[in-house]
Amino acid sequence: MEDLKQALKQQIIESLNLQGMKPEDIDDNAPLFGEGLGLDSIDSLELMVLLERNYGIKIEDAREGRKVLSSVQSMAEYIQEHKKA
Amino acid sequence: MRDNIVITSAGIVSALGIGYKSNAEALKNGLSGLRQPQFLNTLHQDLLIGEVCLSNEDLADKLSISSTTVSYTRTGLLAMLAIEELLASLDIAALRKEKLAFINANTVGGMCSVEDMYLHFIADETQGDFVRYIDTLDCAASTKDVTTHFGLNPFTATISTACSSASNALIVGARMITQGLVDKAICGGCDALSRFTVNGFLSLKNVDREACKPFDEHRNGLNLGEGAAFLMLEKEADAIKRGTTILARFSGYNNTNDAYHPTAPSPDGAGALRAMTGALKKANLTTEAIGYINAHGTATINNDAAEGRAIEKLFGANVPFSSTKPFTGHTLAAAGAVEAIFSIMALNGNCIFPNLNYSTPMQELNIAPVTSLMTHQNIQHVLSNSFGFGGNNVSLIFSKA
Amino acid sequence: MMTPVYILSASAISPQNTFDGDGIYETLITSDNLKLFVKEPDYRSYINPVAIRRMSRLIKRGISCGMKALSDAGIKTPDAIITGTGLGSMTDTERFLKDMIALREEALNPTFFIQSTYNSVNGWISLQTQSTGYNQTYVNRGLSTEMSLLDAQLFLQETSEAATVLVGTFDEMTDDYFVVKNKIDYWKKESIPSNEILKHNDTPGTIGGEGAAFFVLANRATKAIAILKGIKMLQQPTSEIIAQEAIQLLQEHGVTWDEIDVVIMGNSGDSRFESLYSNALDCLSANTSLLAFKHLTGEYPTATSFAIWLSIQLFNNQRIPKNTLLQQGTATHYRNILILNHYPLNTASVLLLQEPA
Repeated sequence: MEDLKQALKQQIIESLNLQGMKPEDIDDNAPLFGEGLGLDSIDSLELMVLLERNYGIKIEDAREGRKVLSSVQSMAEYIQEHKKA
Repeated sequence: MRDNIVITSAGIVSALGIGYKSNAEALKNGLSGLRQPQFLNTLHQDLLIGEVCLSNEDLADKLSISSTTVSYTRTGLLAMLAIEELLASLDIAALRKEKLAFINANTVGGMCSVEDMYLHFIADETQGDFVRYIDTLDCAASTKDVTTHFGLNPFTATISTACSSASNALIVGARMITQGLVDKAICGGCDALSRFTVNGFLSLKNVDREACKPFDEHRNGLNLGEGAAFLMLEKEADAIKRGTTILARFSGYNNTNDAYHPTAPSPDGAGALRAMTGALKKANLTTEAIGYINAHGTATINNDAAEGRAIEKLFGANVPFSSTKPFTGHTLAAAGAVEAIFSIMALNGNCIFPNLNYSTPMQELNIAPVTSLMTHQNIQHVLSNSFGFGGNNVSLIFSKA
Repeated sequence: MMTPVYILSASAISPQNTFDGDGIYETLITSDNLKLFVKEPDYRSYINPVAIRRMSRLIKRGISCGMKALSDAGIKTPDAIITGTGLGSMTDTERFLKDMIALREEALNPTFFIQSTYNSVNGWISLQTQSTGYNQTYVNRGLSTEMSLLDAQLFLQETSEAATVLVGTFDEMTDDYFVVKNKIDYWKKESIPSNEILKHNDTPGTIGGEGAAFFVLANRATKAIAILKGIKMLQQPTSEIIAQEAIQLLQEHGVTWDEIDVVIMGNSGDSRFESLYSNALDCLSANTSLLAFKHLTGEYPTATSFAIWLSIQLFNNQRIPKNTLLQQGTATHYRNILILNHYPLNTASVLLLQEPA
């Protein structure tokens, strides 16, 4: 789980081009949107692309997407549950 | 009024059919043109789209063009077919001598052809079928197709402001006539379905797999469509002098920007409200004068909330409105002109077309769209909205001649 | 005939030092691979830092160039924004298209799709300046600059109160684009350094280029740095047509050929278009200096905007950059400038600019 979260943070930084940020700057439970990293709705679509490309997980429902993408912790948990073998 | 701009001819191609009559019939009969792709070469075969029911070969046939020798893309062919209808009532030889503008609108040019050949474009090969499509990627390619095919040499311009493109073409045409640069302007837009566009909207996750439900609580995105529609604009005095039929007056317009977000509208509908208010002011009309609103109504979560709020704020529950997107799909750059023609059909037929697939009122709205055909209405003025990416909002008003 | 409009500011991002650095008078930047790419400035001071992360270079270029023109004119919020581009963001279009093919229509980045939309630069500038007025985008091949300026004139003419319009153009060249257009003979087949391209005018083709330029236009003369008198847009131009239209443009504005101090020409070393300006040039007197610019920028659909920017440098500095001079005239003060430009394969334009009184 820790490895997954670490990898996820690196992927988020790359996918959203969060210049100057390092994985350790992102707290597991900090909100990614709004006050947290200040990400917006297009970033959330980009994160869904990340999940689909790297983990084969497709989220169709926007509301479910918002829940899954609320923090690194919630993303990691969702990946563990749904990752294709 | 000396400077009144009127519409004297129109041509349309959409999923509802070829021509003014077949489109009007389908609207009156409540027959949607949405279906699964027959010609679009996408892997998403389950999607409902508003595809024009003719293959490229059949489109070319209708225009008496040999489809194997020329570089017309589907975009160009759709535009040409709509223009052919518009020109049918006109003396083309006389038109060639006039000060004419052709203001076209488009979003992805000949992408419908280019996307199938792009790997050839960028490979080492220099010979092959792809070569004739090599200069068709940009929006102005279809503009040139039309002028070439009909042997016209007008002043040309091509607009690309996403989903409001064709509405903007009408504004620019009207402005050029008013200021005396040209006497007549053919204005409208065209877009053919492409995998590029379909996948683009899929990546935005705002495509409904089922038929779209504008202004419904359970709406879940749009259906894409294709088509072309053009209108002939000229001064009322000129039209009267020629003794030609006047379809409608183009009495008001306004173009504003949301300045809110790259793709989403301001949630309170401030941008939509500004566009509609400005168009009413330009037309010198009050809200009570409007007999029908042809809404943008894409059925995306954001658009319908913003547009619905703006309509409610400005008109209350007093003016019937509907979105015709469930009939045609969202025809993007053509949409503004397609719906301008639908507005004129409503005006002249004294009817209001239904907003298909509506069942549950939206929580945030106290108004609801018209859900079945209303006839024998006294409609003097129709307002039509088109809102696009980049915050580009346009409202147009058409009035009885 | 159109009423003249006033230019309050101009900014250009080009392969030369036009945006920051020492300008165009000293250094000449060249290339020897038939491509002139823009010298990318630091965009961070012009763009919202949260938004810049996802932006491709053309989007950054367009926004920055537009914001600089506004700040130079001392204007926060223009009344309208009109943009013109031949190609929009090719990088984003190519990326989305190639991903779509490679990934078989699955898991595609929305950012590339959004940014491939031709009006996205316009939308971003509207957002950054909170400009809620008229906004328009033309994708009009070699006449995208001209149509944007014409629409600005129409808008300003229609507005009785004092109003400003931000007009801007932008185009980028990509490696793919170069390959594609090479198949329809846009470029030279032989290798020629960019600074020598104009001399090699006995073979077809030129060099590829790119750039952005933005102008603040107004319907009042206060603080004007140039006056845009008129524009002619031509389809299927010939040397005769260009000369006729130039004659008419001058007549409309009461300017004689003797009063033309500078002609800026779009000749590009392409043998197919070398004679396009000859009839117009025959009308000139010894007064006129002849300038060219495509060896500085390469060929692209909105290159006319660079020539307008160059005209403004001449008005401001009353000095001709030596790298642009083809033939020195006798005029010592530059008041009237005629721009003659073409874009392959079938459009041209004539513009008349004047120094404000």
